[in-house]
Amino acid sequence: MSTQTQYKDLEPDETYAFKPEDLEEGEMILNMGPQHPSTHGVLRIELKTDGEVVNDARPHIGYLHRNFEKHAENIDYQGVIPFTDRMDYVGSMANSLSYAVAVEKLMGIELNERVECIRVIVSELQRIASHLLAIGTYGLDIGAFTPFLHSFVEREKILDLFEWLCGARLLYNYNWVGGVSHDLPEGWTGRAKVFLDQFSPVIEELDELLSHNKIFTARTATVGIIPPELAVGYALTGPNLRGSGIKWDIRKEDPYCGYEKYDFDVPVGQGRYGPIGSCWDRYYVRVDEMRQSVRILRQALDQLPAEGDVHESVPKRVKPKPGEAYGRTEAPRGELGFYVISDGSLIPMRVKGRSPCFVAMSIFHEIAKGEMLADMIAIIGSLDIVLGEIDR
Amino acid sequence: MKNYLSNIWVTAKTVTIGMIITFKHLFTRSVTQQYTSEELPEERWKSSIVPDGVLQDRSRMRLHVKIEDCIGCKQCEKVCPVDCITITTEKREKTEAPLFAADGTAIKQKVVQFDIDMSLCCYCQLCVYPCPTECIVMTPEFEFAETLKSNFLYRFAKEKPAPPEPPKEEVAEPVAAGGS
Repeated sequence: MSTQTQYKDLEPDETYAFKPEDLEEGEMILNMGPQHPSTHGVLRIELKTDGEVVNDARPHIGYLHRNFEKHAENIDYQGVIPFTDRMDYVGSMANSLSYAVAVEKLMGIELNERVECIRVIVSELQRIASHLLAIGTYGLDIGAFTPFLHSFVEREKILDLFEWLCGARLLYNYNWVGGVSHDLPEGWTGRAKVFLDQFSPVIEELDELLSHNKIFTARTATVGIIPPELAVGYALTGPNLRGSGIKWDIRKEDPYCGYEKYDFDVPVGQGRYGPIGSCWDRYYVRVDEMRQSVRILRQALDQLPAEGDVHESVPKRVKPKPGEAYGRTEAPRGELGFYVISDGSLIPMRVKGRSPCFVAMSIFHEIAKGEMLADMIAIIGSLDIVLGEIDR
Repeated sequence: MKNYLSNIWVTAKTVTIGMIITFKHLFTRSVTQQYTSEELPEERWKSSIVPDGVLQDRSRMRLHVKIEDCIGCKQCEKVCPVDCITITTEKREKTEAPLFAADGTAIKQKVVQFDIDMSLCCYCQLCVYPCPTECIVMTPEFEFAETLKSNFLYRFAKEKPAPPEPPKEEVAEPVAAGGS
């Protein structure tokens, strides 16, 4: 194959976009994005509208493509971790954890209890920070500005704790293959407990402020309904799947980092203000998950073993034997998995990321059909997508 | 009709609850820090949750190289995932006086080029760990915005490269590091 034909194959598929000649009478093509503030990044959605009603939708992705998977084939195993941080940039700890779990599975590394406990603590704090952002910006999309400010005040405290821990606010490079980069500083657990004590009333306050507000429920509880069968059919994970009433959580089903030691519930959508699987259910699963995260954090901070070196099992050279491994964790947005193939060298042969947001985006055209144009914002916000993870 | 009235009642009630919460927060302390228009607190950022402020020893901001201690082993250059470090070394002549780093390691290479392009740096701190003499460090210095991208190229090397053999009248400048 000549070079010219290769590049021709890479040209965008014109059959994917809507064509003006296929429109019915009264229909119109409307482009939403890529610079729309409510698409949480650069996402373009082509909508076929009939007046206010959306008849069909086609998401166009790839505006934030940074070639992560190909980059990973040219850097050593440890060097991939800063790139995984940049996939889902509001939940970096969860991304690097998932990659580290995959490589540790490949190399057969066992961790000591202190490292596992620290990983649980940071990933649950990250889950709270990520859900606070999701909830705050969801309120902002719907038109409630105040909850956004309240949730960001709390999120800032978590980022301060992380900066104290590892020196970075968003892109941590904290979970290493075989350990974590820094041990907890002196007094960190005490301040984390102070934060939890402050934070628990704030969840209830946010709940009163936004969750049960009639304007908010009226806009979200009857739109974007994902029936359980459809959610399973599209392989949704995380809060989007649990919002449809299906109890599935990797932390319970396939525990990693010793999650089986902690006592917590898996919140599912109840269909309190409308049909089950609505935008409001997905939103409220996130609120409930923050409560459960606080529960896990309290247990983990109490159980934290005093002894243990965090660099104990960090290999001097990460050089796995030829083989393959799939490591998956429950990231704030769902099941985040990394499939790593090793050919025995210092550089991975292939790293494939399984992005929960990409899967959530694939269901969009199904639930957008027949909804009103203004509800598109509510639906996108409730799926809680991060374009950095979709495009990678 | 009953549904209509109850909807109005629930709306009025929940909106009032929200307004009460917002009103309560009117009397709490402000959390916003008007950075750049407001003076920074004494050397560190204040934080409501971290007692001494967050800019501590672990801060990962601008890179600094103590070039006197560098032995030219190029380990930081190898480990950098974004290739923002460029090092060129020359062998030290045996006739020159022996040099030692702060921890006693003998310096056998002459570092003639040690360039870090901070516009490419991803602040992962991976270069800091393998350094045998701990000469490359991340500092809490974060106010280094520049108007020109070329100003982000930090040149740490102090020693001049040896002049090339054939032309004797001109001394070659260190090659500008581009990185990629």
